[in-house]
Order: sequence, then structure tokens, then C-alpha cells
Amino acid sequence: MSTVLPELSEALADAVSKAAAGLVRVEGRERLPATGIVWDAEGLILTAHHVLERDENINVGFEDGETVTAELVGRDPATDLALLRTTKRDSSIPAWAGPEDLRVGHMVLALGRPGKNVRATLGIVSALGDSWRTPAGGPVDRYLQTDTVMYPGFSGGPLVDAQGRFVGLNTSALLRGVSITVPVPTLNRVVQDLSEHGSVRRAYLGVGAQPNRLPDGIADELGQETGLLLVSVEQGSAAEKGGLFLGDTLVSLGGTPVRHMDDLFTSLDSGLIGKSITARILRSGRLEELTVTPAVHP
Amino acid sequence: MTTLLSQLNSDLGEVANKARKSLVQVAAGRRGSGSGVILGADGLVVTNAHVVSERKGRRPMRDLRVTLPAGAVVAARLLAKDDGLDVAVLQIETPDGELPELHPIELGDSLALRPGQWVMAMGYSWGVAGAAAGGIVIGAGPDLPESPGIGRDWIAVDLSLRPGYSGGPLVDHQGRLIGMSTMMAGLDVGMAVPAHVIKEFVKEAIGGGTA
Repeated sequence: MSTVLPELSEALADAVSKAAAGLVRVEGRERLPATGIVWDAEGLILTAHHVLERDENINVGFEDGETVTAELVGRDPATDLALLRTTKRDSSIPAWAGPEDLRVGHMVLALGRPGKNVRATLGIVSALGDSWRTPAGGPVDRYLQTDTVMYPGFSGGPLVDAQGRFVGLNTSALLRGVSITVPVPTLNRVVQDLSEHGSVRRAYLGVGAQPNRLPDGIADELGQETGLLLVSVEQGSAAEKGGLFLGDTLVSLGGTPVRHMDDLFTSLDSGLIGKSITARILRSGRLEELTVTPAVHP
Repeated sequence: MTTLLSQLNSDLGEVANKARKSLVQVAAGRRGSGSGVILGADGLVVTNAHVVSERKGRRPMRDLRVTLPAGAVVAARLLAKDDGLDVAVLQIETPDGELPELHPIELGDSLALRPGQWVMAMGYSWGVAGAAAGGIVIGAGPDLPESPGIGRDWIAVDLSLRPGYSGGPLVDHQGRLIGMSTMMAGLDVGMAVPAHVIKEFVKEAIGGGTA
């Protein structure tokens, strides 16, 4: 017998041991506790939003056996992430790896700490795609799906690569029946928003809209077949202040064509809050340009 | 890369072959069967208590038969069982008292299991002789979320046990016994009774000796 299988077995167990210090138990619901990841040495813990059924009385259990209370910094239900602050200092921070280091077929481990000890399941990377939007509208930088089993209490835990590096946070709540990992770039972005504002900020116009086919001539001129017909404009909203009316059809925002609702969501990045941008609309059969200043999503 | 995977496959084959030498099928009455493990060269076999019990109630089945790795079918007598632990000890018996050559399984250390380490389950799945399923240890000990018995040691494994694996060996990367496949907890999680629990039970049941 060669040494490959024993070495593989040892390497997998080593990857789990190496990652263990970066995993915490998160007690924030009635049933089984879930998992969280040590985010920095200042006591920040990243976990899944859906495992926190309450905003207070949350406890976090560390590798060394210590359990401390945690304060909820903020949640982003759209990406199923939540940030906690504890008084625990100098925890060892896990090493992270970006999705660019992964390939479909790579062996990966899903880890959790629903109890005292770390648990592990093994699988491979099933799919690695482009950016996508969760059913709740949260933008995620890469679509990362694995065939790892999400053992009870694994949500909020990391996906770990062959070197024991964390490549993202696993959650069973974003898509039913599929093991989805939120990759590092998304985690960085959401953690920054949560720690600065307590929520993930999105730019907001204050309109209700639906896709609408453009007249042939306009479609040819713009090179796009649909725009967004405004079916409501909130009083006092950025849209109203900018001069948008019910019945206008929005065809581009800040120079980016808007064909579907998804285009509008994508273009309303938090960077646009308070910035004046051009809204191109079709009104009474003619194209017009207005200036709008998106506000913060309430 | 290719060489590495070939070596890995060859290693996996060796582990399966080694474990298969100690794997038996246990049939009780007219009921379907389960698996068992040869623990002693004197004909001691362990399996799950539920494999040798009536479906309703816990009355032990009569007419126990064991299919040995080489295919011979021999009778067996129930020495002891514990329905709580789900462990049963059988003694293989032949009419002339002569036992064929048996290969007892090598015992591993189930108290030193590490999450992530590789394991293989062997059994008579759907009646297929010597079927194997591979995976890793999810965790071991008394505090597993889906443990059937509170406070008792279990091994949770990330592999799909199918009907027929019950009572069969769970082995490590060297083919050493670390547990006994006992049930599924969900679609893809198997639960096994750790080898140290089996060892302890056999020791008490037959009063020292073989195990």
C-alpha cells in the first residue's frame, strides 16, 4: 500500500485542526446552536443571519472553551450574513483565500461547531460561476456551490480548502437544498458596511417599476428593447425631487441601460448615495434627461 | 496528478480488500439481512442488535446464519445483545465443531478519531457482497447533534449508508475497525457505534478474552 491514502486522511484531519481556532459556536436560537467565524483580533465574529433568531442574549463559544456574550452589530438578510462583537481579544484569525484559487472538482471541507468540538464534512467544488443575486436581492460576487453535506448547525461556518484556508461562509438558507458558499469578496464588502453602518446600505430612488417594451424607433436608437415603466413615485423621494413622474419609462441610470428590475438593483450601488447622476427617461414619446440624487435605502 | 490518483485508488482497493476478509453477512429467519464483523478466530462475530431481533419487539431471532467471506454459510448462536447499544455478539457454529479459517479484523483506536480523517464502511448493501462507501469522520463523541442516545458515544460519518450496511465494519485508512455502521441520520450522514464501545460490551458479555 502506498502512503497516499494515509497522507490524504492525515492532511484532511490537519486542515480541520488548523481551521478549528477560527470557528466559534453561535448560540442565538432555541434549537441547535450554529457556527461563526473569527473575523478579527478585536472580537468581531461573522455568522449567518438566519441562525440568529434573536437580537439579544447571543452567546459565542470559542475553541479554548470560553463562552462570552455577543452584541449584534448588524445583519444583511439579503446575503444571509450577520456580524457580532465580543469582548474576546487576540483570537487567532483564519487565513483566507479568494475564489480565484478554486477550481471545479477541488476537494473542500465544510466545517461547523454546533457543539463543543469542530465537525467536518467533505466534498468537492460543484460549480464556480459569475456574480449572482440571491432570491432576497443580495449581490454575491461569485456563485460557489459544493456537494458538501450541511450537517445541522453548519450554517455560518467556513468552506475550507486543501490548505486549510477559508474560502467563504456556508449557508443553507440562501438556496434550498443546495450548499452555497458566500465568497470572501462579498464577506469583506458586507462586513465593512455592517461595521460602519449597522446594515448594508443600498442607494434608493423611491420608485416602483415594471419592465415595458419600448417603441420600435426608440428601441433601435437606444439598442435596447425594454425600459422600466414607473408605476409609483414615492412622495419626497429622490425620484420625485429629481422630477420623475408616474408613467415615465426609465431607460438608463448613470449611463447604464436599465432593461429589467435586476439592472436597476445592480446600478443602485451604495456608492451612488448622495451623488447626482443622469436618469434618461422616455416621456410623451420623447427621450429626456433628468438629474437624480439617490438616497439611502430605508 | 494522474499517478497520485491512481495510487489513491489502489490504496482504497487494498483497504476494501483487507476489510472484506473480516466482513460477513448475517441473516435471521426469513427476514432480510445485515452485515457483521469477524472479531475472533474462534468464530466470534459482532453485528447490530437490530439485525438479529424481531422487527416488532426485541425478541431475538432464531435460525441465525452467517455467510463467510468465502461464501460458506454457517449457523450462529446469539451469545449476548444490548438493544440500547445496538450491539450483538454471535458465535459461529459448525456441526463437526471444526471452524473454517477466519480472519479477525484488526482493531483501531476509536478514541483517537479526528474530524476530517478518512473512513470506509463495508457491508452487504441491497445484498451486494462486500459493498463499500467512503467518506470522512464528521465528529465523534457524546455531543453530536443527531445522536440517537444522549450522552453515549457515537461516530458521525459523512457517507451514505444504505440498507444492508447495518452491523458492518467502519474502518480507517489502514483497514482497522473503528466502528460499526448502525443507522442513517438524514440522507448523507451515517452513525456508527465506536469500536471501544463494542470492545467493552464484548468483554463484559463473554467475560474477558477474545476482544
